Amino acid sequence: MAKEMELSGCAASAQAARMAKVEVICSYPIRPYTALMMELAKMVANGELDAEFVYGEGEHAQLSVVAGASAAGARVLTGSSGVGVTYAFETYSPIAGGRLPVQMMIADRALDPPGDFGSEHTDAMSCRDQGWLMGWAENPQEAFDNSLINYRIGEDHRVLLPQYVCQDGYFVSHIPGKVVLPEQSQVDEFLPPYTLPHPLDPKHPVSHGPQIRPDQGTVMDLQRAQAMLDAPAVIQEAIGDFNRIFGRNYSPFVEEYMTDDAEMAFFIMGAHTMTARHAVKHLRSQGVKIGLVKLRFLRPWPTQEVAEALSKFRAVGVVETSTSYGGAMRGGNLLHEVRASLYDVPQRPLTTSFMAGLGGEMVPLKEFYYMAEVLAKMIKDGKASKTVYWVGFEAEA
Amino acid sequence: MAVAVKTQNLPLIKKIRNIPKEEYYVPGHRTCAGCGPALQYKLVAKAAGPNTVFLGPTGCMYVANASYLCTPYAVPWMHTQITNGGAVASGVEAAYQVLIRKGKREGELPNVICMAGDGGSVDIGLQAMSAMMYRGHDALFICYDNEAYANTGIQTSPTTPYGSNTTFTPPGPVIPEGKKLFPKDPPQLVIGGHPAVKYVATASVAFPVDLMNKVRKALNVQGPAFLHIHAPCPKGWKFNESKTIEIAKLAIQTGMWNLYEWENGEYKYQHKPKEYKPVREYLKLQGRFAHLSEAHIAKQQAFVDAKLKAPGIPVAIPISPPRAEA
Repeated sequence: MAKEMELSGCAASAQAARMAKVEVICSYPIRPYTALMMELAKMVANGELDAEFVYGEGEHAQLSVVAGASAAGARVLTGSSGVGVTYAFETYSPIAGGRLPVQMMIADRALDPPGDFGSEHTDAMSCRDQGWLMGWAENPQEAFDNSLINYRIGEDHRVLLPQYVCQDGYFVSHIPGKVVLPEQSQVDEFLPPYTLPHPLDPKHPVSHGPQIRPDQGTVMDLQRAQAMLDAPAVIQEAIGDFNRIFGRNYSPFVEEYMTDDAEMAFFIMGAHTMTARHAVKHLRSQGVKIGLVKLRFLRPWPTQEVAEALSKFRAVGVVETSTSYGGAMRGGNLLHEVRASLYDVPQRPLTTSFMAGLGGEMVPLKEFYYMAEVLAKMIKDGKASKTVYWVGFEAEA
Repeated sequence: MAVAVKTQNLPLIKKIRNIPKEEYYVPGHRTCAGCGPALQYKLVAKAAGPNTVFLGPTGCMYVANASYLCTPYAVPWMHTQITNGGAVASGVEAAYQVLIRKGKREGELPNVICMAGDGGSVDIGLQAMSAMMYRGHDALFICYDNEAYANTGIQTSPTTPYGSNTTFTPPGPVIPEGKKLFPKDPPQLVIGGHPAVKYVATASVAFPVDLMNKVRKALNVQGPAFLHIHAPCPKGWKFNESKTIEIAKLAIQTGMWNLYEWENGEYKYQHKPKEYKPVREYLKLQGRFAHLSEAHIAKQQAFVDAKLKAPGIPVAIPISPPRAEA
């Protein structure tokens, strides 16, 4: 029988890895993701999980070890946080270009300086354009589910891409929440064993990653881009199967909350979605016509679904938990893509962004109420006077 | 049901005519004429045989070998970054351990060999190499040492000898000797701090049977092993490409290179000259040392003399003093 437990995001991810029968794990300590590896180390020591647990000598090595293991035909898991994520940067493109479906759990942490344990999405966001599937979990249950869903999609031979499975540090990674652990038979039905079309096997020699001429480069880039284009159909299929087998009700790409007849909406991903839901519920009780749209996959970016979801509002506030210093929107990363998605929509909503939760600060209810005030003023004025509001540092709405 | 992981036991080769005919590093590459690293690759692949996976960090043996659609490897091969050969090799070995244990792969554990240049071994690749040695993976790390970053245009590496003219150490009026530093000692780095390591040896393309047997011994031990192979580079060292073997032999005859094995804490020496020739004999054949003055050559000679007496590299026969400078 499926059983219900109270688990942190890290513990939930470890349970997912156990049920996915991960074969090679590579660890290196950095808070907060490291609780995942502590859980896995116990499982291996207790005999609950038959896997090679390799002590990496750094994040760059973590990714390198699992790349080799994935190429040899093993299902793999690694993970990191903050500057650990960026330390491994060299390896991300070779893994994606090598079409190795490595899974990396990222529990976000602010980048230095100065040293800050708090959650901020900038670590993972800095790595978003390398050809990895990518999305955030709102709670431990979603962290568990996303791990299985991403193995299924990434290992599908129509996709073959690595996956950053992200969760906010502490808010998700360390705060226990309700997690329904399924039966092993359900996981086995959903997730077939990992196979690679051309593993490193002396019985069938192949060369992985030879040098190419510049004129051969575009073709390979195009293939990696095509895999991203092919992924959405596979995501839809996987989410459909997941909902059927596990009795869940996920939308593949964007989830909507209280958007019926809403005039304005928050566009958000990750842990702060939970607070945003409460804010929306409260504002609705005050008569404010507001809703919420949650992004489940940042890569591949669901352009069509974002456009469809947002075009029915008059104003959209994008909640940014990452920085893009000097970028076109002067704030974070999401508004760039939201505005690009809406460009071809005839009736575009007004859009702006809110820098909130940077450095791992809480985003309390009152900050969402402030954002709603800004959105209401935009509707009243008929324009967005700014592309970014640094929440808590602005004189007025 | 867990399946026990078996490793193969490759027999040692007695004479050069007993060397297997089969090639696993085949024609089709683009290395320079007289390339020492290419020759050692051919010998290593022959010695290892078909049940082998090579990991190739960026370096000459990647750039000049592994061209798309015509790579020379008849066994599985995978490129790694110059930074992470040891880590990727660790991952391949770990995968095979678990896959064989779970019955997902049949047969013996393949020979997992990381074939790295000097930069990929003891400079930018040092961390990954050291960690593979520390963790005890059943894999072989080979440093093919051509004593420079060669494919990028001959820049100094940590194993480039003192006094070398490289594109990062050009001699000039202010720095007349070119390279001022003395090289790292890769096998001593490995021996000195990695208790899991079972076997370390140095080899040279000048002694192919010795080289191949060291490859086989390294593969036969269960656990990590390290080989440091001297592989002269005609382009980088500026000598005629017909003299690769002559230069490699002279390195041993002058004490610039030593052939030894380290196994279970014991050193054994091979092809040790009865009397060492002066290093000048080795230096004078190579354009990279053409600018050196007598004082520089004496400094190099003193370094070699000290190294031959150094602890950890015991010399069983007395070293004859180098001949007086001319």
